[in-house]
Amino acid sequence: MNEKLRHYIDDLFANAPSTVRAVELKEELYQNLTDKYNDLIAEGKSEESAFNIAIASIGDVDSLISGLSGEKRTVNEKERKRSALITAIAISLYILSPVPVIALQDEIGMIFLFLFAAVATAMLIYNGITHERYVKTDDTMVEDFKEWKQNSKQKNKAVEAIIGSFWLIAVCVYIVVSFMTGAWHITWIIFLIAAAISSMIKGLFMLKQ
Amino acid sequence: MSVASELIRGNTETIILAQLMKGDGYGYMVNKAIFNLTGGKFELKEATLYTAFRRLEDAGCIVSYWGDETTGARRRYYSITDLGRESYRLRKKEWETAEAVIDKLLAEGEKGVSK
Repeated sequence: MNEKLRHYIDDLFANAPSTVRAVELKEELYQNLTDKYNDLIAEGKSEESAFNIAIASIGDVDSLISGLSGEKRTVNEKERKRSALITAIAISLYILSPVPVIALQDEIGMIFLFLFAAVATAMLIYNGITHERYVKTDDTMVEDFKEWKQNSKQKNKAVEAIIGSFWLIAVCVYIVVSFMTGAWHITWIIFLIAAAISSMIKGLFMLKQ
Repeated sequence: MSVASELIRGNTETIILAQLMKGDGYGYMVNKAIFNLTGGKFELKEATLYTAFRRLEDAGCIVSYWGDETTGARRRYYSITDLGRESYRLRKKEWETAEAVIDKLLAEGEKGVSK
């Protein structure tokens, strides 16, 4: 109906996330400004001045967007501490995993190494998946945006967990193959192959996104 | 005038609640009523109006719904809740208390003039 007004509001909301809340606000603003514009025209104003008066009455839209963000954002401190603890334990398990091999000097030591590594990896993956999801505190576009951002970060974490466990498997394969064949001079090639596969996994995920 | 509008702005939410006490309304309708009531002296900026609407909605004082106009675009209507009515009465009482206090305090200046 009023293309000029529509364009102006489209520009105002150009950087707003495309959420239901933002779209509704935009629609509401457009509708109200059109009403105002039509009233001004009916009063005998020129199109130019009616448009100018209408857009002047919008005020500070940035304050509208940021004002909606709300200060009640709660950071889940407990959740974060738990996550840090799980990561710390997992890492120390990795570091400690060769100890049984050195101490026992036989296959049982190797079994313990793999066991340590398996538990540590399981912990990291669990942590990556269950890590605090951003739950929006109120239904505003800023909160919608934060949730969206957090969710995409979550996806990256899943990829990281997969790559992490993949490398661990590569190490296991390297050690097992080397022990069984005794061909230590050549088995290091396994790591080159692993690097290639890891890049491929990353590439596949990027393509999917 | 800027001080006056500052004082009025502090009561934006109460003013909107007062309008909705009369019945459901949409943004422009509420603002136009305010404009007419003040003889064209005061009008809320759109941004101020929507910020107040959202805050009232989050507080449970009002609820909104989309009207089903047969002609033209749809309008978003606001309706006051029981909590909103209660909030309006409280805010109005608070304003009356503040008004009485300020009147009393500012009247002191007049005494000095009369001497």
